[in-house]
Amino acid sequence: LWRTLGRLAGSRPLTRADLEKPLQYFRDRLIARNVAPTVAEKLTQSVEASLENRTLDALTVHRMVRAAVEDALQRVLQPLHGTQDLVLAIEQHRQRASIRRPFVIVFTGVNGVGKSTTLAKIAFLLLQHNLRLLLAAGDTFRAGAIEQLRIHARCLNIPLYERGYGKDPSSVAAAAISQAEQEQRDVVLIDTAGRMQDNEPLMKALAALVQRAAPERLFFVGEALVGNEAIDQLVKFNQALLRYQQGSGGKPRLIDGIILTKFDAVDEKVGAAVTMMYTTSIPIVFVGTGQTYHDLEPVNIPKLVKALVR
Amino acid sequence: MVLETLGTKIVKALQSLTNQVVVDETALEAALKEVARALLEADVNVKQVSELRQRVKNRVRLAELPPGTNRRRLIHKTVFEELCRMLDPGIPPYRPQRGQSNVIMFVGLQGNGKTTSCVKVAYFYKRKGYRTGLVCADTFRAGAFDQLRQNATRARVPFYGRYGETDAVKVASEGVERFRREGFEVILVDTSGRHKQEAALFAEMEQLDRALTPDHVIFVMDGSIGQAAYDQARAFQQRVRVGSVILTKMDGHARGGGALSAVAATHSPIVFLGTGEHLDDLEEFQVQSFVGRLLGMGDVRGLVST
Ligand SMILES: Nc1nc2c(ncn2[C@@H]2O[C@H](COP(=O)(O)OP(=O)(O)OP(=O)(O)O)[C@@H](O)[C@H]2O)c(=O)[nH]1
Ligand SMILES: Nc1nc2c(ncn2[C@@H]2O[C@H](COP(=O)(O)OP(=O)(O)OP(=O)(O)O)[C@@H](O)[C@H]2O)c(=O)[nH]1
Ligand SMILES: [Mg+2]
Ligand SMILES: [Mg+2]
Repeated sequence: LWRTLGRLAGSRPLTRADLEKPLQYFRDRLIARNVAPTVAEKLTQSVEASLENRTLDALTVHRMVRAAVEDALQRVLQPLHGTQDLVLAIEQHRQRASIRRPFVIVFTGVNGVGKSTTLAKIAFLLLQHNLRLLLAAGDTFRAGAIEQLRIHARCLNIPLYERGYGKDPSSVAAAAISQAEQEQRDVVLIDTAGRMQDNEPLMKALAALVQRAAPERLFFVGEALVGNEAIDQLVKFNQALLRYQQGSGGKPRLIDGIILTKFDAVDEKVGAAVTMMYTTSIPIVFVGTGQTYHDLEPVNIPKLVKALVR
Repeated sequence: MVLETLGTKIVKALQSLTNQVVVDETALEAALKEVARALLEADVNVKQVSELRQRVKNRVRLAELPPGTNRRRLIHKTVFEELCRMLDPGIPPYRPQRGQSNVIMFVGLQGNGKTTSCVKVAYFYKRKGYRTGLVCADTFRAGAFDQLRQNATRARVPFYGRYGETDAVKVASEGVERFRREGFEVILVDTSGRHKQEAALFAEMEQLDRALTPDHVIFVMDGSIGQAAYDQARAFQQRVRVGSVILTKMDGHARGGGALSAVAATHSPIVFLGTGEHLDDLEEFQVQSFVGRLLGMGDVRGLVST
């Protein structure tokens, strides 16, 4: 093997045949690390296209492919949008004197992924910046959802706006926002009930809430444990938001950031991050790494890339 | 049902054999590649997929087949048998004994649906006429007891739990003891979510297991889980004896291939599917009849194509 590879060095352009084995190796590796097969396939195809006819500049074809795969992953994971600094965005919002409205953040996603916990973690983070917060119990459906949020509100010493179970979530959200405005609070964090992306009535209700709350940030909370389903979740949440906010005059609000939870439970199988960003180009703003308030981190792209290919 | 979709996909993958003039190693390889793709897209564990591929090849041995063997049919049959082997650990599902206390402990990853499923199962047994009680041993998650209490009230199932208590083993033992004393037949214990990376959480689960000596342990898993399923399921199995699996959130779009991983890792059958957030969104899952149908699908289509 070494001899054939050695002979290749610097002599002739790389062919498909040279690339096949190492590309397959990395494609399989990505799938094993929980990147969706379709995404892994497309990614390695783009790597193949970029390497074909290039002359070998690393020690082995394998290494050259690895470097190219790392490069491709890096590009996928690099957030494409402008500033993602949440605290900075809130500061800027505050300084615009014309706006009295608080900065509104809505958390959404499928069932049990960690929306409410993440909301509490973000509240904890914002408290460090001396911001005045209000939590809103927009999950009026799931048993214990309001008590769960009340416990966080008490632990963090933040007021909670709630109207009990069975109430219309968008009315709760709207009322919370106007209360926060009266009390001159900086940020309102709105919890929503988990829902399956195919559940039409619930997706309509979410769009109604988003339309009414007109949040400055709409976060999709997903979990790193999720498999191929990640694609369907994200695509359908955004589609539903787009479709059911149509005809409202204003521009529909779509997901502008992903928070990926339960990173602590996947070891090196961090591929959901790639699947999600490859599919939507929506940046991952934070990752959740545990069940305490401290377990919220910005994405570490080099670390992710390393976990995926090494 | 999602696994059926997988079966259909595999049949389709195997159809490629029908278009081949000769079914040789190359044709087999190509067909297995398609099968593997279908399995991976359903979130079946990578290692299991390559094992299945290898086992089929080992069993079929095209070169050694006597002439006249129906090769297509043999391949169909072998693929489906191997698939079914993954689903069916050959263990009959657990049945609680009437007239005595059966303690069933629910374990699983965070947010996978333990509390919800626990109450659904309580409701299921209650309607079958068992005296059923629920114990909240989740002293960790905010609002855990409220969630169980509200759900149990809706299901009209007696429950036990304590606010402010932090010792899970203590509340669980008290609850189980009380229901035992009062002659309850099915006693379901809900526990905190945990994962293998957190040693303390796993240690707590073992302590619960030792203190309660449950008759049965149910592993609850989210149907949309990806490649982490196998390792997590196996870690639970290694620490407490998992006896069956409940696959939740199957009302979503999930293909449920993670289930195959959970079954393989725990050697336990899937007994229920969670299909929604409401009390009666629970389907009994009969491995044998399901596997039978899958096999039938392989056989029938195999015959048609010859
Ligand atoms: N290990 C780990 N667990 C987490 C993380 N984030 C949340 N959890 C746990 O996941 C479980 C579900 O979290 P919740 O915040 O209730 O999830 P949710 O999305 O609000 O759930 P629903 O409102 O029921 O849809 C809880 O046990 C959390 O402690 C994380 O980053 N790591
Ligand atoms: N759509 C749907 N949602 C479900 C199903 N099972 C549970 N859920 C939802 O999933 C979320 C998490 O369920 P829980 O029962 O709280 O999960 P858990 O495993 O007890 O969570 P922790 O105690 O935090 O580890 C809740 O929003 C449930 O309503 C199901 O079969 N379908
Ligand atoms: Mg919640
Ligand atoms: Mg629970």
